[in-house]
Amino acid sequence: MNKQQEAISRQKIFDAIKQASPTAPANIDAIQKEALELLSLNEDARPAALHDDPSIALEMRVEKGLVIGTSCERIATLADLPNAVKTFFAKHKLPKVAKVQETEQLQSLDWNGIGINADIIEDDTVGVCLAEYGIAETGSFVVSSSKDMPILLNFLPLYLVVAAPKSKVLAFMDDYALIANDIAKQGTTPRNICIISGASGTTDIEGVLVQGAHGPEFLHLVIVDDL
Amino acid sequence: MMNTKDSQISDKKVGLFVTCLVNTMRPSVGFASVQLLEEAGCSVEVPELQSCCGQPSFNSGDDEGTRQVAKQVIQHFEHFDYLVVPSGSCASMIKKHFVEVFQDQPEWLTRAEHLASITHELLSFLVDICDFEPKNVSLDGSYTYHDSCSGLRSLGVYEQPRKLLSSVEGLEHKQLTASTECCGFGGTFCVKYTDISNAIVGEKTENIVATKADYLLGGDMGCLMNMAGKLNREGHTEIKTLHTAELLTGQRPEAMQNKAMENSGGNDASK
Amino acid sequence: MQANKPQNFYKNVSEALAQPNLKAIIRRTTDKADAKRAEAVSNFPGFENARTQGQKIKDHVIKHMDHYLAEFEKNAKAQGAIVHWASTGEEATKIVMDICKQHEAKKITRSKSMLGEEIGLSHALDHSDMERIETDLAEHIIQLAGDPPSHIVWPAMHRSREDVVKLFRSNHKSPTQSEEIIDLVRSARRDLRTKFLTSDIGISGSNFLLADSGSSCTVTNEGNAELTITPPKVHIVTAGIEKLVPSMAHAVPLLRLLTRSATGAEITQYITFHNGAKREGDADGPEVSHIVLVDNGRTKMLADGMEEMLRCIRCGACMNHCVVYKHIGGHAYGSVYPGPMGSVLTPHIEGLEVANKQTHACTLNGRCEEVCPVNIPLPKLLRALRAKSWSKKYEPITNRFVVSAYAMLASRPKLFQLSSSMGVVMMKLFSRKGWIQSMPFTSGWTSNRDLIAPESKTFMQQYKKQRKSSNTAEKQQ
Repeated sequence: MNKQQEAISRQKIFDAIKQASPTAPANIDAIQKEALELLSLNEDARPAALHDDPSIALEMRVEKGLVIGTSCERIATLADLPNAVKTFFAKHKLPKVAKVQETEQLQSLDWNGIGINADIIEDDTVGVCLAEYGIAETGSFVVSSSKDMPILLNFLPLYLVVAAPKSKVLAFMDDYALIANDIAKQGTTPRNICIISGASGTTDIEGVLVQGAHGPEFLHLVIVDDL
Repeated sequence: MMNTKDSQISDKKVGLFVTCLVNTMRPSVGFASVQLLEEAGCSVEVPELQSCCGQPSFNSGDDEGTRQVAKQVIQHFEHFDYLVVPSGSCASMIKKHFVEVFQDQPEWLTRAEHLASITHELLSFLVDICDFEPKNVSLDGSYTYHDSCSGLRSLGVYEQPRKLLSSVEGLEHKQLTASTECCGFGGTFCVKYTDISNAIVGEKTENIVATKADYLLGGDMGCLMNMAGKLNREGHTEIKTLHTAELLTGQRPEAMQNKAMENSGGNDASK
Repeated sequence: MQANKPQNFYKNVSEALAQPNLKAIIRRTTDKADAKRAEAVSNFPGFENARTQGQKIKDHVIKHMDHYLAEFEKNAKAQGAIVHWASTGEEATKIVMDICKQHEAKKITRSKSMLGEEIGLSHALDHSDMERIETDLAEHIIQLAGDPPSHIVWPAMHRSREDVVKLFRSNHKSPTQSEEIIDLVRSARRDLRTKFLTSDIGISGSNFLLADSGSSCTVTNEGNAELTITPPKVHIVTAGIEKLVPSMAHAVPLLRLLTRSATGAEITQYITFHNGAKREGDADGPEVSHIVLVDNGRTKMLADGMEEMLRCIRCGACMNHCVVYKHIGGHAYGSVYPGPMGSVLTPHIEGLEVANKQTHACTLNGRCEEVCPVNIPLPKLLRALRAKSWSKKYEPITNRFVVSAYAMLASRPKLFQLSSSMGVVMMKLFSRKGWIQSMPFTSGWTSNRDLIAPESKTFMQQYKKQRKSSNTAEKQQ
């Protein structure tokens, strides 16, 4: 397809839209105002929160088994993360090797006795990373792409341990989306934003749920009280 | 005024729209309707000039044909206080769909809107508007109920027939699995796609038979004929199919097959 | 399995109904989906409000489609994406194929996209020298089987575990000998893993396009979209123009509706927003990002008063709850989109003359509208398509004749009553023991069920007679 043909198609689409809706085009301010008002309908259109404290609500959600393949624990500071990872290894009878996200905050921890540079290309590995946010409504964590965060770290390992600061656990998906909207306004949206809510799963063969379809089979969320 | 009780119902004139299926296939439903409306205190009139609600045209996409049929319904019924129909789908046609075909004809649109505002399905009319409770009706046996789609989804008919039937002494309700799922009638659908329709009604009758109820009741002749016809073809003559209005009159109800048998001897007295 | 054609609908239906275990195969999926959806809705008291909000968001975008398309284009370009425009499916496919050729791609990984099917991308890739690799497990299964999809959410729902065992054994590099579902999933995981990492181009669809940032959003349970998109050098998104929403905050209410309506889950595991090409220094991600915006009949829907259909978020609830779909399955429709939503969409994609039969394969029972998360009045739209088909004279002449004759009679009450009483007399001739088992012109009914025999006179005849005698009685008194 050449550029010229695409420009013609583009014009065709815009012309067809204008022709189909003969109402005079609203001004941008009016459209934006209308779009904003649509968000205010949220109040009565969200599931009930399990707890007033989002981090407790998130824990409750996981404990109720509502987040596929996911377990949860709480630690006081990030320094406790290596121990949490060790316990996770023991629970799943895994060798003490993981791929720890190459970010200062995690790399500077005392990983004594744990290999932290596993090759995630291999299957059956453990990934350890730091989430930017947690979301109580859906039992989710949020990561976005950067030089410190390879997106594949969240997808290639069979086991994933994710630490999220308690202060960044939000009540609803909208709470995160509004933050993302602000980032978009500044034109600094990262290449990827992933909202991940549980382990990888499929029901494609006879409707039976199997975890670990392509991504992690087990997910462990660690809420860090002081981070 | 839509679904609120009318305390002056005895001063109101009700026009009964018999429907083409009741008129030709099951007159007793028409007589039952008249009787129940009168017991509820209404003064009932059955205009001689009436035919059909126009669903075959509408559902086939023939808007002009629909308008022709709709116009005569409007003309012959708009002067009543209420238009009452012993069928959810015909009531829904008049109440919801007439206005759709008159969008470009303001004068007829106004008249269609007025007709829509006075139109009611029989069983919901008896409960919601007349606050009617059948008295001294008893019947030993059990029934199961099929909720016809138009009545249910377009007009919200669900509780009303159950409420009316709960006043029948000795009658026990047996829940039909998937009672709100379509029976596969669908008007012209059942002859256009007879094999799909057959598969659907076959599943419906399976559920009906499983209830072991004595009576299958409903509020729409099309669906009832479809289910009764399938039950009979399958040899399930133990289940008697009736329109709810027939059972509520307190006459000894006769199922579709028996009624027709009795009358095949030339006896046309239906009351 | 050869793909059915929409114009052969009658034949497709007969074949589907003749398949002995089809109903059980369909119900295995739809019954579970229906029950789980009902549970999800009952656990969410705000569902009705969410629906209203979702509908309003979609309607807002539909009303200002040109504004949001321009916004999206501007913002996507600002993040380094290359935006393409296609008014037809062929154009869209050509754009994608040209990009693939330009990059001399050999292996193409794809994340499930109904739009990709709609524009015929699978077919085009299969007829090129490139290898097409479907990464969604269901798409992987039907690719190995050579089947078209039978459902928009579970495209391989027609395939049993036994089928999958055979397909995997003959196609996977190191297949499992087990027949357990978990081992089958592991076998696919092993087989696809290296393919993800060695692919030249990743192609995805998009559930939402965010106008304010120029992002496209993928929604999966498996995580295959991210694995399809991240490793290759090039990412191509194909998306229908109706996928636009103003911002992520507007996508959220629709996500709540989508997953609950589709699978009954409160959320899907992976919701990812993809925005332009890899940023400088990013640890991974594609270096080139293309977005192909596709019309293919969508502006036609706007023009034809079918704009409510553009609300559709492709959850599949309408087909899971459709009595017709539940008996004939997805393949019978002969098009990419089956069930109620498909019967509205297909005429705009393939032409009404080709797909008008499907618009009649519906009892207008309203269940689909009742479960639609964005309140699309599907029965109304199907009826409107019938009206269009009628006015264009696409309906068979015999149908037109019968329906017109009916309208002629029904608009003349006296004549109608007369013919009704004659009809009753006729029917009485064929009735035995209260039933009619067959008579001329009723085979549509009597081939499968009996017809109750009428009484000997119509209601009107009986009623008039009764009135007359009671009037006489009154006078005598």
